Amino acid sequence: MPVLEAKSITHIFPDGTAALEGISLRIQDGEFVVIAGANGSGKTVFLRHLNGLLTPTKGEVLLDGEPIAKNISAARRRIGLIFQNSESQFVGQTVAEEVAFGPENLRAPRAEVERIVRECLEDVELESFRTQSPHALSGGQQRKLAIAGVLAMKPDIIMFDEPFTALDYPGVVQVLQQLVRLHQRGHTIILATHELEKVLAHAQRLVVFHKGKVAEDSTPEEVLERVENYGVHRPCIMTWLK
Amino acid sequence: MFFHYIYKDTVLHKMDGRLKVLSLAVVSLAVGVASEVWHYGVLFCLLGVALGIARVPIRAWLRDMRFFAVIIVVVMGVNVLTGGGDPLVSLPGGSWFPAVEISGVGVIMGLRFAGRLLLVLMACSVMTATTSPMMFRDVVEWYLRPAPVVREGKAAMMITLVFVLIPVILDSYTEMRQAQRSRGVELRRNPLKRLFFIVFPLFGRTLRRADEIVYAMEARCYSEERTRGVFKAGKRDWGIVGVCLGVFGFICLIH
Repeated sequence: MPVLEAKSITHIFPDGTAALEGISLRIQDGEFVVIAGANGSGKTVFLRHLNGLLTPTKGEVLLDGEPIAKNISAARRRIGLIFQNSESQFVGQTVAEEVAFGPENLRAPRAEVERIVRECLEDVELESFRTQSPHALSGGQQRKLAIAGVLAMKPDIIMFDEPFTALDYPGVVQVLQQLVRLHQRGHTIILATHELEKVLAHAQRLVVFHKGKVAEDSTPEEVLERVENYGVHRPCIMTWLK
Repeated sequence: MFFHYIYKDTVLHKMDGRLKVLSLAVVSLAVGVASEVWHYGVLFCLLGVALGIARVPIRAWLRDMRFFAVIIVVVMGVNVLTGGGDPLVSLPGGSWFPAVEISGVGVIMGLRFAGRLLLVLMACSVMTATTSPMMFRDVVEWYLRPAPVVREGKAAMMITLVFVLIPVILDSYTEMRQAQRSRGVELRRNPLKRLFFIVFPLFGRTLRRADEIVYAMEARCYSEERTRGVFKAGKRDWGIVGVCLGVFGFICLIH
């Protein structure tokens, strides 16, 4: 049974634009899936449906076979979402406060919150920055802080929406190393991007979205030669990691 | 610098949030009661020392004060012109403007209001620079807990969001202003048109940013029922409250 399943999801905006049209996807436990597509192809809207932030006009999302709508907060705890430009959505005024936001929402006891914050910051190597403002960090560090904020919720599935946007080379490498580490640790990774050259070598599956529909869904090797038909650059290299 | 939390390892940063808010309330009352020049002198000294202890970067703070200087000047001007009393200077009115009389009472009143506004801004700067919005949220929740009907969690989070959004708005304003300056907005003579170019895009951008923040909070299971803050008041914290009460008492006593 897939850990996460989208069943014929359609999303129509109030102005009548169809962002998603009958999307069905089954994500297996521990899989690393890259969702590619041009701007406006529906990647972000789709991820927000998987996390329960948006409700489909038609269709449903199942987590372990159960509709996520039954218990949205339990689903959000298990499915973490790291937003595009996540640094513009920081709520905490210090690095530690930002990580503590999730566990505090889950009403973890204060001592437990402290422990989780320490562990997550150590995990992303930001422990020494705990009292600094999140906005004082570099781009790569800010993205790692966003990851730490999600890790603090102890999710099984982690979704990344354009995680490499506006990052310089060291920033991309930092985020990529973190991503690979999370996958090796057993997390299911779903990553939406149009920059395949940075990450594709680590993915087991490549799904291409085109105008709100699934245009391709197979192994990266199989799909790669056709990606340019959907407005995605075909990469010459497959990872920015050495 | 205004409304920005700046982490530093100082007595005021470490102070129990509940007592810090209590001290702010006492100082605000003292500002309201103050009427004599030396009252203002004492309060300026107290808040000046507090800004120093909080290690607020004074140059940046003064630079940011330029925005508020306009408001202070307007408040002062209105009070000077409407203060009443024997006129010191009288300007006859014309067909386009009314007669203007500036009195000694009006000038004193104007200075008093300007002083009050400046003191309030100083107190707010100390508070926001040394208290993170999360700590502030916990404090508000703690104070509202005994109040019936009020949903303290919701009220506290609303206040926190205001604190989160104000720097976002100010930063967006600065960014947009610079972008417009680089395209020569200052060559336009009509100030209303210049204002129009800033206000509407800023409004739209702020709403979009607010939406994004809400999504990010929801994705991390935001709820009103959250882990409650733990407070610990030390002797030093009570000492600071004592100093504020002392200043307030002194001003009330020799009023």
